[in-house]
Amino acid sequence: MTRVKICGLMEEQHVKAASQADAIGFVFAPSKRRVSIERAQELSRLANNDMQRIGVFVNASYEEIENAVKAVPLTMVQLHGDEPDELIQRIEVPVIQAFSIRTPDDVEKLNNSIADYILVDAPGTDYRGGSGHVFDWSLLENVALDHSRLILAGGLNRDNVQAAISQTAPFMVDVSSGVETDGRKDEVKIQQFILQAKGDSMERTQEKTIDPVGFFGRYGGQFVPETLMKAVKELEAAYEDAKNDAEFQKEYHHYLKEYVGREQPLTFAARMTEAWGGPKIYLKREDLNHTGAHKVNNAIGQALLAQRMGKRKIVAETGAGQHGVATATICALFDLDCVVFMGEEDIKRQQLNVFRMKLLGARVESVTKGSGTLKDAVNEALRYWVTNVEDTHYLIGSALGPHPFPTMVRDFQSVIGKETKRQILEKEGRLPDAIVACVGGGSNAIGMFHPFIEDASVRLIGAEAAGDGVDTERHAATLTKGSEGVLHGAMMKILQDDAGQVQEAHSISAGLDYPGIGPEHAHLADNGRVTYEAITDDEALASVIEMSRLEGIIPALESAHAIAEAKKQAQSMTADELLVICVSGRGDKDMATYAEKLEGLS
Amino acid sequence: MKRLAELKQAGHKAFVAYIMAGDGGIEKLGEQIQYLQERGVTAIEVGIPFSDPVADGPTIEAAGNRALAEGITLEKVLDEMQRFDFEVKVPLVIMTYLNPVIRFGAERFTQEAKKAGASGIIIPDLPFEHRQLIEPFAKQQELVLIQLVTLTTIDSRLEEILKQAEGFVYAVTVTGITGSRDELAEEVGAFTRKVRELSPVPVYAGFGISKESHVDMLRDDVDGFIVGSAIVQAFHEDRIEDLEPLIDAVTAPHSV
Repeated sequence: MTRVKICGLMEEQHVKAASQADAIGFVFAPSKRRVSIERAQELSRLANNDMQRIGVFVNASYEEIENAVKAVPLTMVQLHGDEPDELIQRIEVPVIQAFSIRTPDDVEKLNNSIADYILVDAPGTDYRGGSGHVFDWSLLENVALDHSRLILAGGLNRDNVQAAISQTAPFMVDVSSGVETDGRKDEVKIQQFILQAKGDSMERTQEKTIDPVGFFGRYGGQFVPETLMKAVKELEAAYEDAKNDAEFQKEYHHYLKEYVGREQPLTFAARMTEAWGGPKIYLKREDLNHTGAHKVNNAIGQALLAQRMGKRKIVAETGAGQHGVATATICALFDLDCVVFMGEEDIKRQQLNVFRMKLLGARVESVTKGSGTLKDAVNEALRYWVTNVEDTHYLIGSALGPHPFPTMVRDFQSVIGKETKRQILEKEGRLPDAIVACVGGGSNAIGMFHPFIEDASVRLIGAEAAGDGVDTERHAATLTKGSEGVLHGAMMKILQDDAGQVQEAHSISAGLDYPGIGPEHAHLADNGRVTYEAITDDEALASVIEMSRLEGIIPALESAHAIAEAKKQAQSMTADELLVICVSGRGDKDMATYAEKLEGLS
Repeated sequence: MKRLAELKQAGHKAFVAYIMAGDGGIEKLGEQIQYLQERGVTAIEVGIPFSDPVADGPTIEAAGNRALAEGITLEKVLDEMQRFDFEVKVPLVIMTYLNPVIRFGAERFTQEAKKAGASGIIIPDLPFEHRQLIEPFAKQQELVLIQLVTLTTIDSRLEEILKQAEGFVYAVTVTGITGSRDELAEEVGAFTRKVRELSPVPVYAGFGISKESHVDMLRDDVDGFIVGSAIVQAFHEDRIEDLEPLIDAVTAPHSV
């Protein structure tokens, strides 16, 4: 795929808008886009790690160039003057040499360049270093030229970039004025340009962002101790292989159908629709899955993969116990050894699930460290995995952890969104206007959202847990209140203090009681494709009662957050609109909490 | 860090002590460093407490929690180190998880660590692939970013990592987390021999080293030993003198 460079960046928000590009450029030569080295350093820090940082110079000295390379630091240097070959040779990072193209004779010069890459531009006007004028791309056709070192610049914009790429097949396209409005960079134009250059396919863009080290924009990665790197890399390769193996997919779908009971209905909620007085409400019924929640979709996929890798021992963490139960269930089915780590606090509030796991033959290990909740259970499961990595698979239950887990869990959960899309088209002949799902780590939400990401008309809303309220100390609203950090193997958004210590989360719902959010959600929040709202414990409890009485469906506490948010969304929607709620699980496991909190219910 | 290479050339074994900064109060940090350097350790790893230390066993985790309860942060540790009024005679290496560094700012961290007299950095959850997050800033300050290799590191990766190794290589001698153990696996000797053959810098064995029998077993296959949990616990229980025989067993001249 052709790479994209956004050049002449001067402001923070424009660097962020360029997060899907492959390279960013800083102009150090005289220009209205000139930046100081200090400014380039500041801006560079906001870019992804794997982003190329390119410095643009015109007839600068070797010392000036090297100084900038070290200080920013730059990964490439772009030269627009009459720099001699000796200078180009001395520069340690790859060099791009720029040429103005007017005539076929100019093209000849390109082949003589000793630089690593050649950049072709239209002749400049006021300043050297790019003019924004379009040159005749056809000059590059029918001449002997190594297109793998060709960088195309000059007058590109979102409307002509596809044509330019198909005509010249360059290594990279370079844009500056083409993504500006009134002489200043424009976030929307930057993003649209990148989208156009990369073939207007979010799917491909996303694949690109997780290759090769598993990043979604700036989030993700493999931040695990070296002892786990081999297992993580093996898993990455095994999953890549399985994903493309029709037999594996067939087996996975066989179990989803025959064992889990898919597909699950998309139920029209007539009484909620009437009561809320807004859009038509549909419920995606993950509560009807065997074991009572969406977690089993992922547990089956990973358990099949573990066996494919020759691993017959499984370790898992669980919060509400739904993932633990799903894992214990699948381990019973496939005769795998199963140990589940669960926080002491969660064991207390989810005793029914603890007993279910034991009944299914799993070993449940109580975690008393920290707050005794999901975060601490993940820590212990990771430690167990480090110690038993050779024969054990870590079956992570949410879209978290080191690559490939966030991608793999999303893919296994995407059955939710794929079914929903097919079903709503059958029932209504069109896509929904909005979809709401709850997010803790984010697995049901990413599974629901992912098949709709490219459908710009569908608003996607994640409901996170506000606990006692986002302005109190007791909440789990990671996207509302969190910041960038590394936890449990990935760069994501986390709740942390000023010293980088991860804080305890609080939610009435054990499944949302986690101080992090999966890397893809963090990315989707940043780029604005998904909006995230926070729902308090009390709002969630009210929704439990409302849905139970209106629809005869007792939802899980986690799912109740999505219902409460959907009700808010419905206020500003009209009767001809469609709203889908992901009911991620049923409420049986929460009955003790309901009995306690809703005492005196009449 | 050059000192470590010289030590190796002279045929001596290194003893690297790990301490948890601020366990027992921040004022203990200077005392512990002074004590250890007087006792002849080769280098000291200054551990920074973290809320979620997944590479650590119960001893170091508990020490970290005590330090966190004292209000210890990365910043406080670096400040304290900058205020030391005694001569630091051995290389100091900051050992921290990645998140406190990200929060503090990678560049600022390397600048302050340099000012604090550190020679190197170890970040157990920063794999080789992602070292770009820290390494460019570390290089600017001439701090070495020490890499870990483990029993599960495959050969091609081992070669890649060792090619770029600086300071010393941290050879993890257990498949697991930190903490004292009775026995080390038989395969450890072959592993450390392999690492040592490929490594341009000294190779130190760490994780699980707590006894003279461990030292005897690996003496010929490594350039030194890193002892963490045993030291942390001894300082905590105020019986550090119990560790002196172990330090001596490593550092005493030995017929090689």
